[in-house]
Amino acid sequence: MATVQDTKVKVEPKVKKQTVFNTLARDYQLWIMILPAIICVIIFNYVPMYGIQLAFREYDFTAGLTGGDFVGLKYFEQFMNSHLFWDLIRNTLLISITTIVVGFPAPIALALLVNQIKWKRGKRILQTTVYLPHFISIVVLVGLLNVMLSPNTGILGLLLAKLGVEGNLLASVNAFVPIYVLSDVWQHVGWNSIIYLAALAAVDPQLYDAAKIDGANKWQIIRNVEIPAIIPTIIILLILNMGSIISTGFEKIFLMQNSLNLPISEVIETYVYKTGIVSNQFSYAAAIGLFNTMINFTMLVIVNTIAKKVSRISLW
Amino acid sequence: MVKSIRFFIVSCFFLILVACSNDNEASNEPTETEDGRVVLTGLITKHPLTKELENMEWLAEVEEKAGVQIKWEEVSADWDQKKGAMLASGEIPDIIIGPNAITDADFAQFPGLFENLQPLIEEHGPNIQAMFDEQPITKDLSTQTNGEIYGLSKYQQFWPETATMQFINKQWLDNLGLDVPKNWDELFDVLMAFKEEDANGNGDPNDEIPMDFAPIGEGGFGYFHPTVLLGSTGMTITGGGGQGYILEDGQVKNFFVDERYKEFVSFLHKLYANGLINEEAFTQDYSQYQALARGEGDTAKIGFTFGWESTDRFGLNVSDQYVTFDPMKVSADSDSDVSWSYDYNELNYGVNFIQMSSQTGNKEAAMKFINELYDPEVSLQILFGSIGPNIEKTGDQSYKILPPQDEEMDPGTWKWTSTWADNGPMFISDELEVELPVDMQAVDEQQEPFNKAFENLDRENDVFPGMLLKYSQEDHNAMTLVNTDFMNIAISKFGEWITTGGIEEQWEGYKQQVEQMGLQSNIDIIQKYYDEYKGQ
Amino acid sequence: MPSISLNRIKSKKPLDLAFDLAVILICVIMFFVVAYPIYFIIIASISDPTFVSTGKVLFTPKGFSLFGYEQIFADSRVWIGYRNTLFYSFFGTFINLLLTLPAAYVLSRTEFRARRFLMFFFIFTMFFNGGLIPTYMLMRDLSLLDTPWVFIFNPLTVNVFNLIITRTFFENNIPHEMYEAAVMDGCSHFKFFSTIVLPLSKAVTAVIGLYYLVWHWNDFFTGLIYIRNYDLQPLQIVLRDILLSNQVFSEGAGSGGTGGGYAQRYADQVKYGVIIVSSLPVLILYPFIQKYFEKGVLIGSVKG
Repeated sequence: MATVQDTKVKVEPKVKKQTVFNTLARDYQLWIMILPAIICVIIFNYVPMYGIQLAFREYDFTAGLTGGDFVGLKYFEQFMNSHLFWDLIRNTLLISITTIVVGFPAPIALALLVNQIKWKRGKRILQTTVYLPHFISIVVLVGLLNVMLSPNTGILGLLLAKLGVEGNLLASVNAFVPIYVLSDVWQHVGWNSIIYLAALAAVDPQLYDAAKIDGANKWQIIRNVEIPAIIPTIIILLILNMGSIISTGFEKIFLMQNSLNLPISEVIETYVYKTGIVSNQFSYAAAIGLFNTMINFTMLVIVNTIAKKVSRISLW
Repeated sequence: MVKSIRFFIVSCFFLILVACSNDNEASNEPTETEDGRVVLTGLITKHPLTKELENMEWLAEVEEKAGVQIKWEEVSADWDQKKGAMLASGEIPDIIIGPNAITDADFAQFPGLFENLQPLIEEHGPNIQAMFDEQPITKDLSTQTNGEIYGLSKYQQFWPETATMQFINKQWLDNLGLDVPKNWDELFDVLMAFKEEDANGNGDPNDEIPMDFAPIGEGGFGYFHPTVLLGSTGMTITGGGGQGYILEDGQVKNFFVDERYKEFVSFLHKLYANGLINEEAFTQDYSQYQALARGEGDTAKIGFTFGWESTDRFGLNVSDQYVTFDPMKVSADSDSDVSWSYDYNELNYGVNFIQMSSQTGNKEAAMKFINELYDPEVSLQILFGSIGPNIEKTGDQSYKILPPQDEEMDPGTWKWTSTWADNGPMFISDELEVELPVDMQAVDEQQEPFNKAFENLDRENDVFPGMLLKYSQEDHNAMTLVNTDFMNIAISKFGEWITTGGIEEQWEGYKQQVEQMGLQSNIDIIQKYYDEYKGQ
Repeated sequence: MPSISLNRIKSKKPLDLAFDLAVILICVIMFFVVAYPIYFIIIASISDPTFVSTGKVLFTPKGFSLFGYEQIFADSRVWIGYRNTLFYSFFGTFINLLLTLPAAYVLSRTEFRARRFLMFFFIFTMFFNGGLIPTYMLMRDLSLLDTPWVFIFNPLTVNVFNLIITRTFFENNIPHEMYEAAVMDGCSHFKFFSTIVLPLSKAVTAVIGLYYLVWHWNDFFTGLIYIRNYDLQPLQIVLRDILLSNQVFSEGAGSGGTGGGYAQRYADQVKYGVIIVSSLPVLILYPFIQKYFEKGVLIGSVKG
């Protein structure tokens, strides 16, 4: 955090005399517009935050949520001393990083692609189709994977067998991450591309005309007109994505787990569920949650700082 | 436009205010109805099939008889997620019903939230007292280590001694001129024959799947898993295996580090390596597991598998091809007693079926209601449905369970639709004479081979008493942590060793790893509680 | 139309033609990859589940039956759930936008001094939260438990992700000169926001409106945790219950040793049917929103 503040001060020393207070009169309209959101966030997000201290206390029902004995880092240590700790970290990072590497560029590519289609009807059909899978619930998606990847009867299983991929993919440790990530991309690529399509829609048509007059071919138009138009959105979303570096989709992984892929499919969130939530170990669950949050948040701050230096686009 | 923005913002504040001041509506409820009945709140974790409580005739009668009227909240899904916040907030309904819906760990974690029923039972609970007298184990199940009673157990007399039965396709055996296998070696030969030859006689020798079992969860073993074959080695598991804890001669052990388990896994690997186990056994979901066994038309697909009852497992078309058979020995010359998964306690008793909030306004009335539920005749209706549509009273203490009104429905679904069924608290006294529905009769007949295996079982010293042991919160939490780590290794190794082998080389290292995780400390904890329990 | 596009093809550069062909090819492949599983869900919802589970249903329905849909629609709670969800979704989205759009506008104004602090103030809540229990207690203290308001006012009422997206859009697509020109004309922030910014931002409004709407539509957690009265439950909870009532035995014998799969037979049919029943309304909505994503449609509308 300190670095961010420092750079800020260094970059804009001249405007220092303008403080929040002496601009209050000028900006009162802006304050009115943002105040409802601030109040809402204070009430519903900041007020319950006192619960964070549960991670450092024993949960004691009779003493109230924050009245239990202070135990410091006991539950953090318990987590880090867990025999599965490094496996959990490795699996979680492997899954989430692969998801970002494959899943992040996909909607951008899709949006640019869809934007190329001139046949309006076809464009709409394609757009609607790729948007559909987003609405499939995870239970059904995992059921669908089971049926389709079945090595003897599933359409994908049979197809892959023809291509030389033998055996039961659902049972394979190596296939777990690809199946998880690819099905994730399949499900969300259309939905995630919507935001880029909206950004592309805002491109001034004059820019296209100008590029055409310059004799640019389509590839050049994409590179010089369209990508610059969505770059701010891309960077912002990338920063936000990096802020979930240690988060995975709990429900999907939980449902996809079986005894054969367990060495790779046990992640932090499924572990929390099995130890903390099912047996009401609130403090332990809170500590692991906070551990995750700290990593995610640190990552966000780092990436945000880098993004700011490199592209001058940042969250704050 | 400025106006409309202001209007929006003002209306937004207004909405927040409305929302915030929207109080006191819920809390001003009457404590009595017009006809003088006490109003209580209740929550039940019912089965999703179960119809709404207001449509249960027997329940209306019971409420009236006890002089209460209960506003029910009916939960049929995700109770675990709902529960934590509800208990922690301290606002719970007067009565909570459901199989272990509130656990011993919850009582320990939320002290003071639930009423100690002990004094109330003595005063207003003759039916519960009667259950404790006839089935003393129910009192043990209900009583915490400090002697207080928060959640009541139940007793239902009809359920069998095991939930998992093994089935083999008799028609296939006859087609191939084979006998029912008596030991693992014979089983191997039989399964080989199922695989190699056209056992189902449809002209295709490759469509038979010799053996299949239910998908195995990551939390441990359960019903319909192949672990029942561990019985061949002489050990008695409970509930299909669970997390591996067993009792032998009064000693707590865990089969996951037992040489006999190694032998069993090696045998399954031999089967798997020869293509005798369904390739998808570890990855299919339960509906795939069920669908496969139903075959195609009259052609069965599975040779040897596990289930609750034959028509349930195989569907009406092929179920008559299957028979249950005696638990097998390991080999023809092994002389150890053969056992099986002993589930009688799990199936017939249960812990924490009903509890009362300590905030309940009229505890006497609530206790009267609870007591009514444990009246044997009411209990029978809790299990099978109201007298009239579901049960016929044929004598003073004798009853006949009626077939489903809807002819297409099976008795099991009918029961679960009509009433709380097994999810309810109940005391079905041994004094009641009941003619059971056809599915339960079928279960009884098919159970015969397993009952024989239990004839010599020492139920005192060789059956792990799982739910009878009441752990302290600290021990419970410590054990949960160890078990989570331990299961992660044990279950994944189980799958790995069967599908790819390697148990011989990895066994020692695996045992060491599991020891490091603290398995022995768990065993010690359980042993301590078991000794205390036995000493009582 | 066809003749025009023919002319276009003729007048194209060869590189562009190859490019177009590649685009078409990729699109067609993608269409089938995405469409087939969707098609499969539709045929599975009207086929005998035993055939589905054993891989006999690939391209055409087999063992046709509408049992799944009958099960779903025979349940009167479905209609109550639909009504509730419609109300929560539309009213909730309205409130969400009411709070998010002005806030995003404010955060996009570079001259607003508190902007960086407030950005941090909002983003902080994306990461740090008190957990379920304090939030539940808050809802209880505000008397929001068991009321429809809890679907509308909750920790996600101002979704910071959506706020950031909107702010980014405002920053990059509302030309700075516009505000300066507007100020010259004596225009207030209120007026500038409502008469210039909003009409220019239909695309992003459509997107985050859709995000919020779909979130409300799919939200079952709120109902699960905060609602006890079944008449207030949203569609997703009702459908989940129907789904479960057909799937209950999947954990083995269940408590107390019931039969394994008595009700299992049609479980999958209900499962697939539920997807269609629950998502159809949101799917119908999409084409209406889609028109805001047409190239250049926005700038054109303002200027024209």
